[in-house]
Amino acid sequence: MRIVKFMLFSGLLLIAVSCAEPVDYSQAITDGQYISQAQDRITEVIIHDIFSPPVAARIYTYASLAAYEVAASTDPNYASLMGQLNGSEAVTFSPSEKVYAPLASLAAYYYVGTGLIFSEELMNGHRDEAYAKLKDKGIPDDVFEASIAFGKEVGDVIKAYSSKDNYHQSRSFPKFTVTGEEGTWQPTPPAYMEAIEPHWNKIRTFVLDSASQFTPLPPPPFSTEPGSEFFKVAKEVYDMDKAATQEQKDIALFWDCNPYKMNVKGHVMFAEKKITPGGHWMSITAIASKAADKDWKGTAEAFAMTGISLNEAFISCWDEKYRSNLIRPETYINQHIDEQWVPLLQTPPFPEHTSGHSVASSAAAYTLAHLFGDEFHIVDSSEVAYGLPIREYSSFSQAAEEAALSRFYGGIHYRPAIEYGITEGRDLAAFIWTKVDTKAKNVASN
Amino acid sequence: MKLSQNTSLFFLGFCLLISCQEKKQPSLFEMIKPEESGIDFENKIESTPELNILEYLYFYNGAGVAAGDINNDGLADLYFGGNQVSNKLYLNRGDFKFEDITEKAGVTGEKGWTTGVTMVDVNGDGLLDIYVSQVGGYKGIQGKNKLYINQGDETFVDEAEIYGLAFEGLSTQAAFFDFDQDGDLDMYLLNHSVKSPEVFAPAKARNNTDPQGDKLFMNLASQGENRFEDVTEQAGIYSSMLGFGLGIGISDINGDGWVDIYVSNDFTENDYLYLNQQNGTFKESLETMLSSSSRYSMGNDLADINGDGFPEIFTTDMLPEDPSIWMKSVGEDKPEVYHIKKQFGYGDQYVRNHLQLNQGDGEFSEIALFSNVFASDWSWSPLIFDMDNDGLPDIHITNGIVKRPNDLDFVQYFEEGTGKLSEKELEAKQIEMLPTVKLPNYTYRNTGNLNFLYQSQEWGLDQPSYSNGSTYADLDNDGDLDLIINNINQPAFIYQNHSDSTNNFLRIDLSEDSNNVFAIGAKVKLYAAEMSWSQTLSATRGFLSGPSTTLVFGLGKTEKIDSIEVNWPESKTERFYDFTANEHLNLRRGTGSETHLATIAKSDNHETSPSILWNHQENAVPEHIKREYLLPRSFSEMGPALAVADVNSDGLEDIFVGGAVGQASSIFLQGSDGSFIEAANPIFQLLARAEDTAAAFADFNGDGNLDLYIGSGGQEFLSGTLFLNDRLFFGDGKGSFSFDPNALPQHAENTSTIAVNDIDNDGDLDIFVGSSVVFGDYGAAPKSSLLINLGQGKFQDVTKEWFGAEINLGMINSAVWADLTGNGQAELVLSGDWQGIRVFENKTGKSLQEKELPGLEYSSGWIQSLVIADVNGDGRPDILTGNLGLNTKLKASMEKPLWLYHSDFDENGQADPLIFHYMGERLVPLASRDELIKQIPGIKRKHNSYQNYSEITGPTDLFTAESLANASKQAAYEFRSGVYFQEEDGSFAFEPFPDQAQLSPIFAILWEESQKTVLLGGNFSGFRVDLGINTASAFTAYRWKDGAWETKAFQDSIPSKAEIRQLSKITVNKKPFSIGASNSGPLYWINLD
Repeated sequence: MRIVKFMLFSGLLLIAVSCAEPVDYSQAITDGQYISQAQDRITEVIIHDIFSPPVAARIYTYASLAAYEVAASTDPNYASLMGQLNGSEAVTFSPSEKVYAPLASLAAYYYVGTGLIFSEELMNGHRDEAYAKLKDKGIPDDVFEASIAFGKEVGDVIKAYSSKDNYHQSRSFPKFTVTGEEGTWQPTPPAYMEAIEPHWNKIRTFVLDSASQFTPLPPPPFSTEPGSEFFKVAKEVYDMDKAATQEQKDIALFWDCNPYKMNVKGHVMFAEKKITPGGHWMSITAIASKAADKDWKGTAEAFAMTGISLNEAFISCWDEKYRSNLIRPETYINQHIDEQWVPLLQTPPFPEHTSGHSVASSAAAYTLAHLFGDEFHIVDSSEVAYGLPIREYSSFSQAAEEAALSRFYGGIHYRPAIEYGITEGRDLAAFIWTKVDTKAKNVASN
Repeated sequence: MKLSQNTSLFFLGFCLLISCQEKKQPSLFEMIKPEESGIDFENKIESTPELNILEYLYFYNGAGVAAGDINNDGLADLYFGGNQVSNKLYLNRGDFKFEDITEKAGVTGEKGWTTGVTMVDVNGDGLLDIYVSQVGGYKGIQGKNKLYINQGDETFVDEAEIYGLAFEGLSTQAAFFDFDQDGDLDMYLLNHSVKSPEVFAPAKARNNTDPQGDKLFMNLASQGENRFEDVTEQAGIYSSMLGFGLGIGISDINGDGWVDIYVSNDFTENDYLYLNQQNGTFKESLETMLSSSSRYSMGNDLADINGDGFPEIFTTDMLPEDPSIWMKSVGEDKPEVYHIKKQFGYGDQYVRNHLQLNQGDGEFSEIALFSNVFASDWSWSPLIFDMDNDGLPDIHITNGIVKRPNDLDFVQYFEEGTGKLSEKELEAKQIEMLPTVKLPNYTYRNTGNLNFLYQSQEWGLDQPSYSNGSTYADLDNDGDLDLIINNINQPAFIYQNHSDSTNNFLRIDLSEDSNNVFAIGAKVKLYAAEMSWSQTLSATRGFLSGPSTTLVFGLGKTEKIDSIEVNWPESKTERFYDFTANEHLNLRRGTGSETHLATIAKSDNHETSPSILWNHQENAVPEHIKREYLLPRSFSEMGPALAVADVNSDGLEDIFVGGAVGQASSIFLQGSDGSFIEAANPIFQLLARAEDTAAAFADFNGDGNLDLYIGSGGQEFLSGTLFLNDRLFFGDGKGSFSFDPNALPQHAENTSTIAVNDIDNDGDLDIFVGSSVVFGDYGAAPKSSLLINLGQGKFQDVTKEWFGAEINLGMINSAVWADLTGNGQAELVLSGDWQGIRVFENKTGKSLQEKELPGLEYSSGWIQSLVIADVNGDGRPDILTGNLGLNTKLKASMEKPLWLYHSDFDENGQADPLIFHYMGERLVPLASRDELIKQIPGIKRKHNSYQNYSEITGPTDLFTAESLANASKQAAYEFRSGVYFQEEDGSFAFEPFPDQAQLSPIFAILWEESQKTVLLGGNFSGFRVDLGINTASAFTAYRWKDGAWETKAFQDSIPSKAEIRQLSKITVNKKPFSIGASNSGPLYWINLD
């Protein structure tokens, strides 16, 4: 009797267990689709919350770094960046066996990213949808929980690292003073915003020795003399605008990447907000990762390294901007050439030299070329959601050069800011890859 | 039982009776419905894809209304302007019945977009003509200005072409007046630009004449021609694309008998105040005469509110009063934008209504904040008239915009999710999304002494509307002014005035034998035993509108008018005598007795004043503004220090003045002839980098010669910086001073005050040094020091020993030693920002203990100066305080104090000084959401939209209870300057100084005991941009007489915009004077004799 009873009981148990027999969820996440979608979301939130280009690059970088560190801690082929990056310490994680690494990586991305933006509910809603989808693919609850917990564990390390980069303190640094001296930057119409992030060079670099390590060549000496070099470069911007072809205008608008363009019609004002330059290149990174069939780890790697390259680019560029503190073409041309002139693009609120888009684009393109090879067919649909067309490129460097030149076509930069900016970006990205590596060197011996 | 039933019944009956009575009581104004009046005009506007607020920025500005008797039947008729609908002319048939005669009169406006309308007799035939301003030639809008000449039979013919007034462009409104006094009416045509107002052009671009700019036309009627000539340029009138003219007013502003012009400009351009130069030209004088003006100036009115014979100037703007709207609307310029505009050459302009009180001597005090008439939302037409005939002119303001463009959520978040819309779709969506808020117009009742009370409900004028043009006229000839308002998409409002018949009035029509038949521009002054009134006759007032030619004066209880003075437009003045109230007078030029225009005799006997050619030179752009974004006021403009004493022992008083940063301080020695010569003190040159803000002469080392203590401040340097150190100089009795670097322990703070006294009874002088602010940390308590003299002028800091280690002395602006309690031992009395008057008792010459004195519990404010004197002569010392005053956005009371929460809310190493103020019952941040986020980014996480932010009701909606518990909270209850009178029982009772003394912050008090007179010096331009400069009153003086203050006038005056920091008494040539030391300015002298 007892035995029968026991057998019956265990039979029931068996049945019960087999009912919960897990489906194979190992393929729930394979490629970078989920993290790319999370990145698209963070881009939307960055736009909504109005983060400036340097700050946006910082957000992308830490979120991607968290995702990447999960990959590195679960796959010996990848080397952790912690310990390689400035101010970081090597960490060893021991994730439990239950952890489903790609989910942990995604969780780390959401966790760190959400901590860096304001509109958290916009991120959380998106995350919960992704999680629901993944649960439907049969990931058991305990695995789910363990993965999210591990993502958070890694995320907390990255958060702690990020909290020491001086960003928080920099919120209360003194504002930029407009001196009004000849040749110096002045706020520009129509919003006359104050210069953003005048102390960005005090943010800790990830790899560069210092913000000024790749100081670009200075702009031509300021002059209002019609024969002077400076007058020439300004006049060139003015003439360019007058003679711009439709193609050049299209290029300028495509790469505008202005996160906060103010439109004013009488008393009616409204901000037109677009993806930042960094956001555009992070999007290209996602597009390339997909086109190259990268798995989730390769995608996280590309995100993290492109993010770091962009971040260093902005620190280096902003360092120079507030060093040279140069007047924008719009101001100079209005004062000395044509009072009525308005550039095709709205002048962004910071000094001119060098061009942020030039430095950032060439830095990002260098890193992408390093990871994917420069020759690469890019179908750049990053701006479609913002009402702009698709553009195609045959290499990263081609895209970067076009992005750089677009600032000249758009009337917001002199040519030297573009040329020196391209060099600045390339050099610093090349330096990054001499200092850090994502590929583990001696997997076997460790 | 029965009793109680009866009682209840009785009570019920009583209640019913009361409620019946309340119902029957009609409000002062009663709206007459279109069915009754026959006035069915409605300015219907339809937004289309081709023409809307995005295509034409003034699409919702509406149109005007003019009143005037076009058929000379004694009843004022009404003419309404329509934008997309026909204009309408209604003939007044009496008893509030009107007849639409537009078509047969021929005054439809011919489908043009009408803006302003003016009824005036242009050709001198005694019949009112109508000038219609229109918008034309812009984005398909048709229109051209019309001059409808009255044919005398209730028909009109447009003769604008003949008269040369058929302007085509963007006209706003016309004003007619005889600027050259040749006996005909000239015309100022106010136009508006549409050219990218957001791009700042240098202000000098106002000199670039544009065919579309404002125009002045000279009437040639008196020269025998029916024609006007454009004299804009030769008359000195700006006519550029910078002018977004929305308001035009005419009146003799400076009392010289010639009509001047005030123009309100929207956007960046200053308003214009044109003074008539009496030679056919005008001089634009706004920036020299006014401290600030409205930024988005809309309409204006020029009218005498206080009966002194000089017109005040009122301009409207768009500041909301409702905190829920205010907190999510575009507000003041951010400080950096404000400074850019100043760099471009524009004046100080603030987004709020301005009430410029005419002081009669060419000077104005801006008092809208004092009078509480500064915020009436998106406002258009201000009309100053006596609405209840109580003898005090009131203010009515129309407001409302169909689509509210300054909603910050719209500005920041509109565009999301619109990426794929076509341009036209986007535009349509934008217009659809622009918020609409319909509000009642604003009515402010004058309660006397320039105080006003919101009265829209009580007076029956609280119907929500989008109202634009408005005017008044006595439509039923009953002696009070009825109100007519032109609305968008709503029938025009006709309000009948039911003024109390116990209030008296006088109706006056003017006429003269010239081409200016109705005497437009004449000023009429009424004199009665107790009061006087004045009005100027103008056919253009408010916004796009104009009143009738009959002047109506409310007289209150006054029965008898002794005389009426009329300043006729051609500088002839006549007096008419003896009138009783409630009559209709026809005053004809030439029938009164001729007299002379009473002009103010400006005293110019400056040769009797001493002279020192010294100017305080303040540096620009203080460093702290960059560091402390939320700082409500600066402390870098607190100099100069001033001290008076005979330093060279010749029996004549000498003067020390402290220099600003980079400017050496100076000592001026008085000569026997009353002249002053600077004493050579090279050490002052070496120490020029210090900003010297406080100074005192005393014999510190006991050698019989006066020594000099100099305190430095300026909020330029961190605490402890070399040039912040206070310094002691020993005098040689001959006017030379030597610096002893070892005399003082280090005190390198923002020194604000020095109080000297022998507190340990050892026969030498000890010092209390007060400090105002911690550099970079407004709201924290800086280090103030008690310095004990060890003999020979060596000092030791004994602050801790005397006050105790725990003492928090707060932010100190003023400190004095005085025996307040009469115990024979002087107490230390001090005060400053966010703290009341604090009294420290000297205990046995060894410690100072704070003593709570009844009556001072709620004295906390922003007290700048303290003086102890027995004002009322009762033998008990009283406390005189110079405070922030009432002419400020910061309002405080015992029940609703202003709060400072000081804490590092976001833990980033910098404390955040957050001011909370009451708006209604809600305690909300003074700073905007943008400003708060800049200081504390985490707030964005908590309040993700402006809407959400605008719903805050108190600090707990911003911060956690824990974080608030850790913050230091300081209240200000009292901002009035005044006297705390000591009562017999040692308690204090506050009595504020008169209103004029509350118009600006008082920094200096001088009590002149021999005359029982207090001299008060003030003004401050160092407030944060959203608070605005306050330079409404530099100097006032009052004598205490028979238990009250009476105004004391001196022969000398101080320019009203001067910023007085110190007042000291000095005898020069045996005559008593007061010196007023001004920041960034000279020394002023007041002869006290």
